[in-house]
Amino acid sequence: MSQLHRLRVDAIRFESLSFGFENNARIFTGATFDFPLDRVVWIKGESGAGRSTLLQLLAGLLAPEQGAYLLNGENISEMSFEEFLPYRLNIGYGFDMGGVLHNKTLEENLTLPLLYHKVLPANEAAQRALIYMEDLGIAKYRHARPAVVPGGVRKLVCLIRALIMHPQVLLLDDPSVGLGQETALKFFDLVDELRQQGELRHVFLSSFDDKLMSVVNPSVVAIDNGLLHHHQPDGEKKEVAA
Amino acid sequence: MSFLLTQIDGLGRHLTRNLEYTLHVLLMFYLSMRATIVDRTQSFRTLLGVVSSQIYFTGWQALPLISVLALGAGGIVILQSSTNLNLLGGTEMIGKLLVIIIVRELGPLMTALVVIARSGTAVASEVGNMRANREIEALESMGINPLSYIVFPRVLGGVVSVVSLAAYFTLISILGGYLLTRMLHNLPFGFYVDSLARAVAVGDLGLFLLKNTFSGIIIFTVSCHQGLSVGRSPTEVPVATTQAVVKAIIYVVVFNFSVTALFYLNELRKLGVLG
Repeated sequence: MSQLHRLRVDAIRFESLSFGFENNARIFTGATFDFPLDRVVWIKGESGAGRSTLLQLLAGLLAPEQGAYLLNGENISEMSFEEFLPYRLNIGYGFDMGGVLHNKTLEENLTLPLLYHKVLPANEAAQRALIYMEDLGIAKYRHARPAVVPGGVRKLVCLIRALIMHPQVLLLDDPSVGLGQETALKFFDLVDELRQQGELRHVFLSSFDDKLMSVVNPSVVAIDNGLLHHHQPDGEKKEVAA
Repeated sequence: MSFLLTQIDGLGRHLTRNLEYTLHVLLMFYLSMRATIVDRTQSFRTLLGVVSSQIYFTGWQALPLISVLALGAGGIVILQSSTNLNLLGGTEMIGKLLVIIIVRELGPLMTALVVIARSGTAVASEVGNMRANREIEALESMGINPLSYIVFPRVLGGVVSVVSLAAYFTLISILGGYLLTRMLHNLPFGFYVDSLARAVAVGDLGLFLLKNTFSGIIIFTVSCHQGLSVGRSPTEVPVATTQAVVKAIIYVVVFNFSVTALFYLNELRKLGVLG
């Protein structure tokens, strides 16, 4: 297997970043913000405040209209797909809905990034996928295509795929939607395990599930009128940036 | 006067929009080629897997339909030409006429139309649904460039399929059409083959390859472009698919006509008719 070139993420910053969708209100207007690292961060905000947009910006799936998104001081907005790849391979992204490849089995969905980037040989990739699927109780569906499995299973596949490369940054958009409380907690046990192993460092997630968040005990970054606020787990407002 | 200006303004906007669209399609083709060949983030095995599936769906599965069309078109052209040439006393011209009609014109155009109807629609709706289901975003998030993983293999597989199908169409038209017309018309096989062999030139092969290669590029680049233009809503997929068919037909017809026109202008120049 080839040695994969992955870049560590030691600083994440928005600098005068603006973003909005066509015909919609602006979501970020000149936001400057240093994201808290080495912890689980809960992105909070009302519906439509831009939680998913923020996660997509962090994943490099959306490009800012103005300003800069900096990783380790490098402006990724100016990078090509290939230039951003060493960072992207260290960022896992779990979709709130959709995102599972329908022409592949669940196992193939999970092994695709490992095989495409030659991280592991086929048998080891399948083994890694199977371990995670067994942990979350969906191993019996591994050879099924997404169209014939329950929605919760599709959601779990999407979440596991975000972890499968053992990234350094994990972005989860509404991870508990469509999952039972017990399954969601099992998934977060997996996240904790990877954090304890030291490979996974920075976790950003959006959620309306207060009960789950009380268990996870995250730091909070709130989006309010296009501004980002950072709170510590104890609730104290730490930083405000526009 | 103001009516005229409004018309001119409308025409200008229409032309600008079409020119912009054409440039976008060309740019996407260039970027997909660049992402695959220059950046080489994708293994040859991955590329081969998608290309071979595309050839199977576009080329292999279209053979029955192409066979029927080729037999019908070949039979009609051979029957009409041999009957009318016989009346005019120029039966030995049959080979030349078949090369002009089938090899240069009908083969490339009919094949392109069949591929647009079967595979252009399939690719546009497949890619459109992938967009709506956020599968394209998922590929990006995994570090897989959709231009090299989705677009380029489909274009490459499409080009191989279109060229092969057009060659198959030509063969079936000329040989199958001959056998079909044997029931109605007595044309000696030796004479027929000899006439064809004398008529085919290297230029015909060049024209055949040029038309079919570019038809393949046009059909699959336009179809992928339309599919990728879908937003989050599945209701956009049928619209994108219809647009892919309309645009691909227009581009293919305009391209085929332009190549034919240039080819004949060159022939006239060689004959000294044009300075």
